[in-house]
Amino acid sequence: MLDVEDLSVSYGAVQALQGVTFQAREGTVTAVLGANGAGKTTLLRTVSGLVKRQSGNVSYGGVELTGLSVENIVRLGISHVPEGRGVIEELTIDENLRLGTLWQFGRQERRSVLDEIYELFPQLAQRKRRMASTLSGGERQMLAIGRALSSKPKLLLLDEPSLGLAPLVTAQIMALIQELARETRLTVVLVEQNVRSALSIAEEAVVINLGRVVIADTAASVAADTELRHLYLGF
Amino acid sequence: MLRHLLLGAVAAFGFYILTSAISSFNDFRVGEIAVYAIALAGLSLLTGTNGQISLGQGAFMAVGAYTLGVLMTHTHLPLVVDVLAAIGLSGALGLVVGMPATRLKGPYLAGMTLILALGLPRIADKYSTFFGGDQGLTVNSPTPPGTIDPQRWLSWIEIVGAIVVLILLANLTRSRFGRSFRAVRDDEIAAGLSGIHVARTKVLAFTVAASCAGLAGAFLGLSVGVVNTGEFSLTLSIYLLAGMVLGGAGSLVGAWWGAIVLVFMPGWSTSIANSFNLGSAVGANLALVVFGLVLIVVIMAAPMGIQGGIGWLGRRALSLVGGGVPAPGAPTPRQEGNEPVGSIPSIPPPAAPAAPARNIREQS
Amino acid sequence: MSLFINLTLNGITNGMIFAAVALGLVFIWRATHIVNFSQGSMAMFTTYIAVTLLDRHINYWLVFAAALVAGLVMGGVIEVVLIRPLRGKHALNPVIVTLGLFILLEGLAGSIFGVGNRSFPPAFSQAGLTFGHSTIAFSHFDLFILAAVVILMLGTLVLFRATNMGLRMRAAAFAPEVARLLGVRVGRILTLGWALAAVAGSLAGLLVAPTVSFSPNFMDLILVYAFTAAVVGGLDSPVGALVGGLVTGLSLSYVGGYLGSSLEPLGALAILMVVLSARPEGIFSRPAPRRV
Repeated sequence: MLDVEDLSVSYGAVQALQGVTFQAREGTVTAVLGANGAGKTTLLRTVSGLVKRQSGNVSYGGVELTGLSVENIVRLGISHVPEGRGVIEELTIDENLRLGTLWQFGRQERRSVLDEIYELFPQLAQRKRRMASTLSGGERQMLAIGRALSSKPKLLLLDEPSLGLAPLVTAQIMALIQELARETRLTVVLVEQNVRSALSIAEEAVVINLGRVVIADTAASVAADTELRHLYLGF
Repeated sequence: MLRHLLLGAVAAFGFYILTSAISSFNDFRVGEIAVYAIALAGLSLLTGTNGQISLGQGAFMAVGAYTLGVLMTHTHLPLVVDVLAAIGLSGALGLVVGMPATRLKGPYLAGMTLILALGLPRIADKYSTFFGGDQGLTVNSPTPPGTIDPQRWLSWIEIVGAIVVLILLANLTRSRFGRSFRAVRDDEIAAGLSGIHVARTKVLAFTVAASCAGLAGAFLGLSVGVVNTGEFSLTLSIYLLAGMVLGGAGSLVGAWWGAIVLVFMPGWSTSIANSFNLGSAVGANLALVVFGLVLIVVIMAAPMGIQGGIGWLGRRALSLVGGGVPAPGAPTPRQEGNEPVGSIPSIPPPAAPAAPARNIREQS
Repeated sequence: MSLFINLTLNGITNGMIFAAVALGLVFIWRATHIVNFSQGSMAMFTTYIAVTLLDRHINYWLVFAAALVAGLVMGGVIEVVLIRPLRGKHALNPVIVTLGLFILLEGLAGSIFGVGNRSFPPAFSQAGLTFGHSTIAFSHFDLFILAAVVILMLGTLVLFRATNMGLRMRAAAFAPEVARLLGVRVGRILTLGWALAAVAGSLAGLLVAPTVSFSPNFMDLILVYAFTAAVVGGLDSPVGALVGGLVTGLSLSYVGGYLGSSLEPLGALAILMVVLSARPEGIFSRPAPRRV
């Protein structure tokens, strides 16, 4: 379980997060929603160690994350797919995927892990040796998620996976996320602007506005709260 | 403007008293300090205020010195004309070098000017009959009026020159051009968007810095009495960088601190080496070690240099006395905050270059 | 005609040495986006260590290896102690620090080993090879230079393309933040980049030393020529370093041979100005999207 408690983050004079508290339970999808600039991306970046917190605590499975380096947080089984996907264009598809496995698996194990990923994304398997820069937006998202999965994470942090994707592709990706959470007990924290898609697959939802949590409740009750939706989610 | 003139007059009077009280050899030292202060002030403007790094300051000094030497050897023009020609020619070369340099980011510019510092003095070796070869060109110091000691007369000229240059630079940095210099240093793209002609601004700074070096080089030639390539090694350029960084990048007062260190450090380090019986190899090289350490330590630990430290101490003292004074922190800070999330964190102004010391080691 | 041939051969040999130092600059540029102006001084220092060991009659090839290891350690230590604390600071700061290191190392070498010129024995004969009645400006030692740099280049290629460490290094160079999120210990990779760069520099120092009367500043010109070569090659491309080295080596050999050796540095300046005016990022560089 991911446990964020009273977390505050600032960039110089700008208070990005203030007293944020929520939990993400094992094997569930937790959607983090809110307008542009609400602090959603900062939240994920703080969890994965890219941004230093000002105060508060983040722990995962009882292990305190604050103070750990990004590389060591990854080694606890936390995988972060950054905004804009973070596919390394100058590397091939296979190299991108392999990168996620280097810190833990031996040669044999690595091969079988990669085969699993290719099974999940057959489009990628056909073009292992092509540069990642040749992929379309949807394929890049698959590569980014596949690469995150290649380290066999227990917690997956996804930042705007639907950004710039066609609705059909978005639906595919969302279905995949839901399936992964259900079948492999993966914990997912999903930051999304695409509120409808996110609420459709999430069990829990956290709404953030100007760095503060407005509400943390089940996805169903957030979706049912018309006033909340109007005020913060724009539909 | 008036304030700068007053400060200049006070400084000139102070130097007059100083030179009247000391020996001829110390006159030479004081004159040398003025010479290096000119070169450092130009470099400080270029690097500290405008954000361009140059290792070519020593090369531009060579241009100034050789212009003076050649004109004195081959013509009989008044000294003022020779000196103005030295300023003009080094400034013109600064313009030529500065133009391609405007497109270059820091390390590229540093590399290019590094080659200039190594390469330019070799022209004098190549055309040795014209430039005097190893012996160099002989330069006559100006004849003083009346019974004034020639050394003292020359150092007065150099001091007055330095004060005039620093007043001009002080006014320049407070003018519209100075604001453009700083705007370009802080963010070229934003400066361009707000209507500043970035390339022209950078070329102007480069030309001004080169002109200062030209004057300093000409004065140095007069002080030493001879112009040869050994004076203008790469080491000189790096020492100038160290003096500028040590004095405080972008600070004209800091240029004086840097100049003092540049003039005295080589002698100090040799006598330190001697008094500890470290041998002649150490004595000849200790200044290199010291200036190398200066560059590293100042940048890592005190990027504001001496003048920045003095400013900080001054504000601390004032606040202790009881004024509502700004918090201790970086002098001449850039404003924090208001930056878009995800941008590069705000950075301190780049450090300024240091003062030269001569004849430490011949550059091969 | 024979002058032209000899200048060409000389240019190729020198170009390979420039390429080795340029490769070191490229390693460091890729890892940390810093031009290491102390690259030449670091190589000079390890070469002095080598000649000191040779004075004690230690086996030549053992000394050769020791100098490379000394470079490896030195590069790594410098990255950790001097470069790492500057991360995130203004780009001029590391430039100034490496310049400080440049004269610091020369001063230390002068203090410790003396300023007098020393000689460094070549591994192989430096007498020009003879074909029939004519002797060309190319010796067994030049052949050794060529072979050593080719091995260095091939080693680099294999490292980058065929090993997991190379994959980590490329990822850290192209996208450091993403690499960290994938568990790559980027800090260590940067240290490794500096260490390997110093090895390439040390090799170049050992190859240059026998051809010059060597003193604490014997690598100064090599450094600026290598910088020219690296910029011609785009600063981030190992292949570019090789091509840039050869272009620079040949050009300067012709300039030196036909116009006079004291004009070589200005020749390098001319190459640099032409290349940077045409393509400010160098010829072989990837067009990088500039973040505004």
